[in-house]
Amino acid sequence: MTTASEPAWRLPPRAVLLAAILLLLAAEVGGASMARYKLELGRWARTEMLARPAVHGLVGVRDVDERILDEALFRFDAGLRLFHMHAEGMALVVIATTTVAVTLAQGATTRRALVLLLTVGGIGYPLGYLLWSVLIPVLGVERGKTVAEWLLWLPFGAATIAALVWLSALIAVRMIRR
Amino acid sequence: MSRPPLLVVLVAVLVIALGELGGATLSQLRPATARWATARITANAPAHGLSGTPEYDDAVRERAVFTVEAGLSFFHVHAEGMGLVLFFASTLVATVVRSRVARRLLYVLLTLGALFPLGYLAYALAVVELGRDDGVALAETWVLSPLGLAAIAGLIGLAITLARPSEAR
Repeated sequence: MTTASEPAWRLPPRAVLLAAILLLLAAEVGGASMARYKLELGRWARTEMLARPAVHGLVGVRDVDERILDEALFRFDAGLRLFHMHAEGMALVVIATTTVAVTLAQGATTRRALVLLLTVGGIGYPLGYLLWSVLIPVLGVERGKTVAEWLLWLPFGAATIAALVWLSALIAVRMIRR
Repeated sequence: MSRPPLLVVLVAVLVIALGELGGATLSQLRPATARWATARITANAPAHGLSGTPEYDDAVRERAVFTVEAGLSFFHVHAEGMGLVLFFASTLVATVVRSRVARRLLYVLLTLGALFPLGYLAYALAVVELGRDDGVALAETWVLSPLGLAAIAGLIGLAITLARPSEAR
């Protein structure tokens, strides 16, 4: 499909493609599970929250507690939905940006560093939403968010952003040099 | 698969990077963003129809801040998506479109289309400066619609090329 005079894309390493496809698969399975097991997931989260009244600030007054539980369940569901959406998006971002990196980055070290940052950042970031959802019934909405933020969102999100800025600069420099 | 021109690749990667930055800003700097929007709305009181009645003004401010946050959120999701659309669609153009003129035209349309998410940044800014309705109308008329139409025209052009084997290589 490529003529000799035109530059062609190079494929990223197979492990990167496999990681991206597995993330896509996880996103699809996550989306399907959210729909198929919505009631069961909600029931599990509710049971876990009721088992930890102090964590969620439950006071034993039905009107008050139901509002708190509804709010936490809404966040639990939102975390799963955000995992589904971000995992789908980031898997494609990993494929596209690592393709650009392996094709346009010239030094082997630069290429490897960019591919590593883009892959690890892109795969790890969406998992933060899954972790947040799992932690909500156990630690509460805010503590769960803090843990997910420090363990996954900040490091992996920063890796992706740093790599994308680096890649953009690299392409811009290459354009200027031509 | 052929690679599109560097400028097209740069725009695709930049738009994705801006989308990521927008998402990070949205989650990490939400209170600061809301404070900034509230201050700008107060500074542009006549545009927002603030009356000096605290209850009414608070409701107006709340609606405008919500619209600003929605604009930033739309920017985040659309930038991630449109950067990828440009990457994959322009790769298809580079690979299958035979005519050089047609290829250039499609690159221009798709690249302009990838800038569509910037319309949501304009939307967020215009809302605080011009008021909710006027700001939304300005961004929709002058930024979102033209860039969105460019994306649609580029994709229609690519679809036509793919549907007519004589045009494709």
